[in-house]
Amino acid sequence: MKTYSENSTKAPEPLFGKAYKGPYSHIDGNDQNTLTDTPSIEELLQRNADLWRGCDMAGQGVHGRSTGYPQLDEILPGRGWPQNGLLEIISPQWGMGELQLLIPLMRSVIEQGQWILWISPPHLLYAPALVQAGINTDQVLVVNLETACKDALWSMEKALQTKNCGLVLAWQTWLPGKVLRRLQLAAESGSTLGVLFKHRDSKYSPSRIRLQLKGSSSDINNFNEAEVTVVKARGNFRPLTTRLQLYQHHS
Amino acid sequence: MEDPESTAQLPLPSPFGAKAEVIELPLPEQPASESKKESDQNQVQRPDSLWYGIYFPQLAELTESQQQEHLNELATVLENVSSTVSFHPQALICEIRSSLKYFGDIDTIHDKVNEPLNEALKQLSLPDYFLYAACPTVTGSLLLARSGHNGLVYRKDNLRSALGQLPTEVLHLEKEQNRRLYNMGVRHLRDIWRLPTDGLRKRFGSEFMNLLNKALGEAPEPTHNYVPPPAFSTSYDLPYEVESLDRLLPVADEMLRQLCEFLRRRDLSTSHLVFSLKHEKRNSTDINMSLRQTSRRSEHLLMLLETHFSNLMIPAPVIAMKMEVRKFDAFMSQSESLLAEDKPTARQYSDSNLNQFMEQLKARLGGHFVNSINTIAEHCPEYATKQLAYDEMVRTNRTEHDPESVPLTPRPFLLLQEPQQLVLKNGKLYHRKPITIISGPERIESYWWSGSDVRRDYYVALERNGSRLWIYRERSDEKNWYLHGYFA
Repeated sequence: MKTYSENSTKAPEPLFGKAYKGPYSHIDGNDQNTLTDTPSIEELLQRNADLWRGCDMAGQGVHGRSTGYPQLDEILPGRGWPQNGLLEIISPQWGMGELQLLIPLMRSVIEQGQWILWISPPHLLYAPALVQAGINTDQVLVVNLETACKDALWSMEKALQTKNCGLVLAWQTWLPGKVLRRLQLAAESGSTLGVLFKHRDSKYSPSRIRLQLKGSSSDINNFNEAEVTVVKARGNFRPLTTRLQLYQHHS
Repeated sequence: MEDPESTAQLPLPSPFGAKAEVIELPLPEQPASESKKESDQNQVQRPDSLWYGIYFPQLAELTESQQQEHLNELATVLENVSSTVSFHPQALICEIRSSLKYFGDIDTIHDKVNEPLNEALKQLSLPDYFLYAACPTVTGSLLLARSGHNGLVYRKDNLRSALGQLPTEVLHLEKEQNRRLYNMGVRHLRDIWRLPTDGLRKRFGSEFMNLLNKALGEAPEPTHNYVPPPAFSTSYDLPYEVESLDRLLPVADEMLRQLCEFLRRRDLSTSHLVFSLKHEKRNSTDINMSLRQTSRRSEHLLMLLETHFSNLMIPAPVIAMKMEVRKFDAFMSQSESLLAEDKPTARQYSDSNLNQFMEQLKARLGGHFVNSINTIAEHCPEYATKQLAYDEMVRTNRTEHDPESVPLTPRPFLLLQEPQQLVLKNGKLYHRKPITIISGPERIESYWWSGSDVRRDYYVALERNGSRLWIYRERSDEKNWYLHGYFA
C-alpha cells in the first residue's frame, strides 16, 4: 500500500473535493468567499445537504423549507421539507390529514409564483376549501382522475422537470422502484418537490422522505391530533415519531 | 376610326353612376416610323404605366372597416392580373402595363377580372357591378372610373382632354367646395384648368391642386399596396414507406427549420400548425398543433410534435408528410428587466416555460384532461366549485376571488362526486369503521325552486381509523346519512 509522507513533494489528490462541488456549488454560495476565508469543517457539514452524520440530528443545519409544524421540523433532516426530490406520505386511507400537512408548503409555493399540479386526486378537488386554506386557485392545475396511469406518470415526470411547478401531488397506490427512481431524478433535475400519496409503505423506495400517518383515536378531544412517523429520510438514522396539531393553519 | 393614339375614347356622358357599356378599343398599332421616334424618346423617358381602376360605388354605404375588409377580399381577385394592387376609397387600382403583353389586350384582362369580381361581390352579398377605367395615372383612372364612363386612355398626352370632360363631382369634394365651384360656373374639370393656378390654390388649398396634378401625372402618386397574407405549406414524399413515427422526426425537423426561417424573415410567429401524414389508399392522419403562446422556435415545435407522435396510432405506413400553417401571428419578443434585482422573488419563473409545459400536457393528455379550478358563490356544496377545461382557461379572464363567496364553516379538500350512503346500526354510524360526530350541524337548504330539493344538516366527523369526514343527514322523509367529503 502506498502512503504519503508529510515530506512527499506531491500532495495527495483530494478525494471528495471535486465530487461534491459540481451540482451543489450554489449551496456554498460564492466560490471566491470560500477560498478567501476558509470555513471550518463544521460549517461545511452544516451547509451541505448531501453530507450528514448519522449520530447527530441537531447538528445538521437548516437547509429545508419549514413544514409549518414545529414538531415535524424537529424530526426532519435540515429542519423542514427538502428543496427537491420525492416525498411519500403513507396513510392507510385517504382523509387522515395528509393534505393538511402540506398546506403551509403549498402557500409558500404559491407565494413564490410557482404552480401546484394535482395529478388524479381520488375525489373532486374542492376549490372553496383551497381558498379557505389561503391557496390561490389561479395557480392550481388538476389532471383528471380518468387519465390513464401511464399518462399520469408521464405528466408527473414532465411537471417535476419544469421549474414553474413548485409542487406536484399525485395519488398512486403502488409504483415499481424503477419508476420511483425516475421520478426522483426528474424532481432533482427540475428542483421540484413531488409528493406521492400511498396506502402502503414500500421498503426499498428511493424517495427522499417517507412519512407514515396514523390517525388519532375517535376521541373527540384528539380530533386535531395526528401521529406522524418519519419512516425514512436521507439524513435520519432511525424512524422518529411525533404528534402534531393539524388544524392550526385554518384561517 | 381616327388615330386611336390621339383620341381619348369616351362615349357620351352617361348618367353618373349607372352601369356603362364596355368600350371596345383596339390596341394602339403604331406605324413603324412613329415607334422608332417613340423608342428614341423612351431612352430618356420610361413608357407610361397603365393603371386599371375599379370603383365600387356600392361600398360607400358601409363603414370604413367593412370597406377595408371587402376591398382586401376583392384585391385577391386582382392579384391574378397584376402584381401591384393599391387601395383607394371604395376602389382598387392595379398596374397592367407590365401584364398587357402577356394577356394580349385590355379586353382579355377585363374578361379575366369581370367574372370573379362579380362572383366575389355576390358572396359579400353586395350588388354585383363595378365601374372601371384605365389610364396612365392612378388618380386619373380613379376619376375616370368614378365618372362611370369605363374609359381607356393609353397615353399621358391625352389625359388632359379625357379628364377635362368629367364633371367636377368625380373629385368627391366637400359640399362647400362643390358649391363654390358651381357658383364659379365650373361644371367640368376642363373649366378648372382654364383658371389661374395661383388663385385656385389660394381658394381651394394645395391638396385640391395636388389631386389635379396627380391626375395629370404631374405630381408623384404614392400608393398603399395590397400585400397578400403570408402562407406556408411544405410537403415531403418519403423515399420508402415508414411505419415508425420516430423516423419522421428528422424530416419534420427540417420542415420546422424552414418554417422558422420563413417566420423570422417576416417577423411573424405561428400559433396553429397542421401536420398531415399521408397513407396509401387511406385518408391522411392529421395532427393539429394549436399553441397557447405563439412560437417560432423549431426546437419547441419539434418537441410538441414528438409528444403528439408519442401517443398517435397510424393506421398504415406513411408515404408522405405535409405541413401547413393555419394561423400566423405577429412576433412579440419578451423584454426582460434591465435591472436584474428589480423583483427578486415574485415571478422569477417566466410564463413561457409554463406555457410550453402546458402545451406539452395538452398535446399528450388532450385539453379536457387538464383543468383549473375556481370557486363559485353558491350555497349548495356540489355546485360551489368549477373545473375549467384547459381551452376555456385561456379564454376566460381570471376573476378576483370574492372573499364572501367562500363559506366560513370548514369545507373538505376532497369532495365525493356522488354522496355515499352511510349505514346506521344500533344508533351508531358506520362507513367502514364507526363514525363519531365532532361538530355540527350546519344547515344547508337550497334549490327548493327546482325539483331536486337540497335540505341537509352537515357534520364534521371522525372515523375510527382516523379519516376526517364531512357527512350530512337529509332532512327530507328518509333522513338518510351520507358521506360527502374528506378533510384530508
